[in-house]
Amino acid sequence: MKYLSEYRDARIAKALARRIQAAASRRWVLMEVCGGQTHTIVRQGIDELLGDAVEMIHGPGCPVCVTPLEQIDRAVALASRPDVTFTSFGDMLRVPGSDCDLQQVRARGGTVRVVYSPLDAVELAQRNPDRQVVFFAVGFETTAPANAMAVWRAHQLGVRNFSMLVSHVTVPPAMIALLEAPDNRVQGFLAAGHVCTVMGWDEYEPIAERYHVPIVVTGFEPVDILEGVLLAVTQLEAGEARVENQYVRSVRREGNIAARDLIGRVFRLVDRKWRGIGEIPSSGLAIREEYADFDAELRFGLQDIHANESPDCRAGDVLRGQLKPIDCPMFGNVCTPMHPLGAPMVSSEGACAAYFTAGRLRSPVAGGVQ
Amino acid sequence: MCLGIPGQIIEIHDDHGVAMGTVDFGGVRRSVCLAYVAHDIAPGDYAIVHVGFAISKVSEEDARRTYALLEEMSQLDELEWLAEIARTTAAEAPPVAPMTERERVS
Amino acid sequence: MTAVSVPGAGPACPTPTVERERVLLGHGSGGKLSAALLRDHILPWFTSPALRELGDAAVVPVSGAEVAVSTDAFVVNPLEFPGGDIGVLAIHGTLNDLAMVGADPRYITVGLVIEEGLPLETLDRIIASMARSAERAGVAIVAGDTKVVERGKADGLFVTTTGIGTFDGKFRAAPTRARDGDVVLVSGPVGAHGMTIMSVREGLGFETELTSDTAALHPLVRQLRQAVADEIHVMRDPTRGGVASALNEIAAASRVGIELEEQSIPVDAPVFAACEVLGLDPLYVANEGIFLAIVPAPAAEAALAALRAHPLGVRACKIGRVTHANEGTVWVRTAIGGTRVVDMLPGDQLPRIC
Repeated sequence: MKYLSEYRDARIAKALARRIQAAASRRWVLMEVCGGQTHTIVRQGIDELLGDAVEMIHGPGCPVCVTPLEQIDRAVALASRPDVTFTSFGDMLRVPGSDCDLQQVRARGGTVRVVYSPLDAVELAQRNPDRQVVFFAVGFETTAPANAMAVWRAHQLGVRNFSMLVSHVTVPPAMIALLEAPDNRVQGFLAAGHVCTVMGWDEYEPIAERYHVPIVVTGFEPVDILEGVLLAVTQLEAGEARVENQYVRSVRREGNIAARDLIGRVFRLVDRKWRGIGEIPSSGLAIREEYADFDAELRFGLQDIHANESPDCRAGDVLRGQLKPIDCPMFGNVCTPMHPLGAPMVSSEGACAAYFTAGRLRSPVAGGVQ
Repeated sequence: MCLGIPGQIIEIHDDHGVAMGTVDFGGVRRSVCLAYVAHDIAPGDYAIVHVGFAISKVSEEDARRTYALLEEMSQLDELEWLAEIARTTAAEAPPVAPMTERERVS
Repeated sequence: MTAVSVPGAGPACPTPTVERERVLLGHGSGGKLSAALLRDHILPWFTSPALRELGDAAVVPVSGAEVAVSTDAFVVNPLEFPGGDIGVLAIHGTLNDLAMVGADPRYITVGLVIEEGLPLETLDRIIASMARSAERAGVAIVAGDTKVVERGKADGLFVTTTGIGTFDGKFRAAPTRARDGDVVLVSGPVGAHGMTIMSVREGLGFETELTSDTAALHPLVRQLRQAVADEIHVMRDPTRGGVASALNEIAAASRVGIELEEQSIPVDAPVFAACEVLGLDPLYVANEGIFLAIVPAPAAEAALAALRAHPLGVRACKIGRVTHANEGTVWVRTAIGGTRVVDMLPGDQLPRIC
């Protein structure tokens, strides 16, 4: 596939890895913010290529992982209603709520369907006018234009039986929260290429300056990630801290103006809880009053559902990069992918699930990387 | 967070005021919302698609330029690396060393 | 990643934080939930040693001869898909299970559970293609049963089958026989069936030119056996759960590790593309027309040549090797030189957004 396969080129990846090792005079700590990048790192074994030059901390950029427990409980409540067809991206189905997950709701008779795009949910509502179709709108800024369009479209076409349960979050406030933490270890960031494709990188410049951290806007293939790491390490070695764009084939400074415009028209900034981290001011999106008819929380009166997370789950420390999953007392015994305590054990991008799988290979494998 | 895959625009049409189109992902086609890239995209162009929405047009020129640099780097690097291996092997291993010795050195 | 160790990762503590009191769709995925369902709710009640081997087919003595018996149930939505239908799938699946223990398929029985309202035209087409594939394979359908259930109580049509096979000679392959130093072969490209079904299933809206790989594999197996006979240690058709789940079962049963070379695993371009778009791993996608063979290294070339000489095995290749290290684990050496463990999934592979 063009613009994809060539960025998995082993020769280039290895050359970049050698440059990173040569450039690093010490071990640097970088965080990839985005779960998609974590997926590539784990799937391709990129951290093995980095050796001692760089420690990668997996950031909180997995929408599945950071959706707060009470929002899952609200989803479960909605999906359990006989008049509701609940639609969602596939990876939300296994996230445990207080009582059960969406797959179990389906087993108990609820109607839960996986859709590829939020517009598919609007279409489903058009085809089933006697059903209430609710879409579980999770995600970061990348997904916000799609969800904004679904609301706008339903409004434009008069699809009254469509609504959205919104749990949108935004990246920069989370990065600031991480950097403000007293025991922060992160020295540089790989910013999420697709978030910046939508939003541009203006808002990262004050962060780089204020906290003196390099921020490299980075793509998702192995070559992208290794090049992003090289750019960050080069800055760190030179004592620099600026925003740089590795993902030039998709990201422009100003982002996607049409998308930003519709996000602004449909959503407003709100304080939002992040699972495991807690409330972060102005870190979420909610539906504006003009489109309140499409807000499932209002339509179905869900505001009274609240939930507290399991005190045993230390997902917050993991998502902040302060606890390695393997150092969590619950890891691997009480908490496993079959019986996850918290979201990072659920999603394949989740740091805990990634460590659980990787950790099972105990004997070093012969013929390692140069 | 955000699985975005490059695909090629096959056709563009208007659906009740919203630009939609068919995008080909290496032989797999799907209807995709093009509203956010409609101003500068044409059939044949590539776009990054996330959950059924094109979020950017792939800049062919930027992609070509940066990839050429990477390729050049890897070729240079490979040459340097091979040269270095040749140097260390020549320096550390006597020319008539038995196989086992040579293996231990490398 | 290699330095990671897991403190206290003994057997997973069965204390669920979430009540799991009903069957989930994931219990049918071929992954860990399926294994748990078998282990905890089904196998404790049945004690036959032939069942305990958990091969694709059981080998049992009948009047002094050994006979292979396999039974299978087929549910697929839609009933007809590019490259086949539930009828062909049922016949091929049964033949393949018999072939995987080294038996020659002889007889098949068929049970049909039909939903009220199924167009007779559809039923006719499916039964006709069932008959054609049995005839082509040289097996007779010798008994059957039909039941009709109320509308809404079945997905159009469910098919159950039993297959009977016989042996010539002593050859046996079993999931317990993989040994250190063996090589892993696959008879063709992976993931075609599962991605075909996913692309035509309502809701995802993909147009592809994918077709299911459904095929009767016993002629190909016969050709392989003629070339290397007793040298085949394990054969397995990686249906639901895909190559990854099948190899995990073999690694556990044989108490070995299995290393795969990512770059050598054949994946057709549209399957690769569909997997990329949905964020799926082709190693977990179902197949209906390929099989895995594990053979000692010295026999590998002869085995590959035999496979490639048959139309169904033209693209056979070596994808990995068996080791004594990392017992019970399957891992991939990635294209860029890293490693990743390919564990069994808890349930179904779900499309990702991130």
